[in-house]
Amino acid sequence: MLLDIEIDAKDHVDAAGVARPVLRGLRLALARGEAGAVLGPSGCGKTTLLRIIAGLDRGFSGRVTLPAHSRLGMVFQEPRLLPWRSVEDNIRIAAPLARAEEVAALLEAFGLAGHALHFPGRLSLGLARRAALARALAIKPDLLLLDEPLVSLDAAMALSLRARIARLIDETHVTTLIVTHDLSEAIALADRIFLLSKPPARVLATLDVATPRRLMTEEARRELTQKAQAALADL
Amino acid sequence: MIRFVSFASILLLWAALAQLSDPRHLPGPLPVAEMIFSEARSGELFLALGATLARVAASFAIAMGLGSALGYLMGRCRIADDILDPWLVVLLNVPALVVIVLAYVWAGLNEAAAVGAVALNKLPGAMVLAREGARAQDPALDEMAQAFRVSRRARLRHVVLPQLAPYLAASARSGLALVWKIVLIVELLGRPNGVGFKINLAFQLFDLRLLLAYALPFVAIMLAIEVLLAQPLERQVSRWRLDAARHRD
Repeated sequence: MLLDIEIDAKDHVDAAGVARPVLRGLRLALARGEAGAVLGPSGCGKTTLLRIIAGLDRGFSGRVTLPAHSRLGMVFQEPRLLPWRSVEDNIRIAAPLARAEEVAALLEAFGLAGHALHFPGRLSLGLARRAALARALAIKPDLLLLDEPLVSLDAAMALSLRARIARLIDETHVTTLIVTHDLSEAIALADRIFLLSKPPARVLATLDVATPRRLMTEEARRELTQKAQAALADL
Repeated sequence: MIRFVSFASILLLWAALAQLSDPRHLPGPLPVAEMIFSEARSGELFLALGATLARVAASFAIAMGLGSALGYLMGRCRIADDILDPWLVVLLNVPALVVIVLAYVWAGLNEAAAVGAVALNKLPGAMVLAREGARAQDPALDEMAQAFRVSRRARLRHVVLPQLAPYLAASARSGLALVWKIVLIVELLGRPNGVGFKINLAFQLFDLRLLLAYALPFVAIMLAIEVLLAQPLERQVSRWRLDAARHRD
């Protein structure tokens, strides 16, 4: 296993000092080269889970096991590019070891070659997401973390980015964990789908996708949708 | 162009008023210019300007460096804020003159006391602005830098300083104007050279020509620093803002 998570308890403490349980007994594991999707309703603690994996939140009980010195490529929901640095510099700052031709190739692959020297303020959300994705890949991550990568994009843009991410996973076999509230997105991208319960969240069920991404058939999609809906209906 | 006309009208007004009044109370632009040239020829003017500029530079650098660092620390670290805030409030409210006199009495009439007293006057202002800047840092970008394990140095240069820049620019510009005025007072009270010393001399001789001959070139130098250095730097630093506003689609 590349990633093995056991979170016994994670609470959010509000301004009044009252603790609200967010995650309880959440177990999840991902093998090297696998793409997992964590599916759950909004506000169920998915982003909290990603932040814990990325090491940004240490206030929980449990453990996150990753190989030593793993590089994590994080793509936040908002692109979080430095607005005062060009797109290319944003990538170089996150990945100082990446060679110039590697950065150029990434920019090319994500259709950003013409924007390399632009400030991120010029980019549409779709382009900025791609830039954030390119930045995460530039560090040659052992684990790629995507937080709602398609949210707030218009339908056409979301489909095209989805296809791009699917191709990326198929071609590079980078271990990926995607957090999403959209079942069709999870089915289109993942090898394995983790269905989260309502808060406090745990993994209700794990669905294995036998025909992931480009192998996906209409029939498999329907079957997975039914299974997921059945599992969620048991709540 | 409008600025130029406005500036010329100040000169004209000055010349007109000088015509109407006693030259001992208000010498005209030409006599003052003559005085500037004669002081420049003798070298006195440049010695005084140099001494004052050196004091301005030293105290400005100390106050900005130390004040910004302390202020940033206060904005980022609760304990530092709790410890330093009372000091800050005291410093903010002690009159400049009191600090100067105390510095001269305690440390003697020397250069260190002069520069230190000026720096101490600017210090709290620099701290307040840097603290505001530190508090306004975007936590989302902090997290990004942490997630990508950006080195401390790169984080300072690419994440922290660009966000602090508008606060530091405001602090530097208001600070420069404050520092040079206080430097003149320090010189007037206890230094044997510099523009402030010359102004004191002119005051004792009731020679307003001499006073203006030292004051005006110094104002011109500070103006030049503002226009040629501070403003272009500020434009360069905020380039990305304009770019985003112009090209958003």
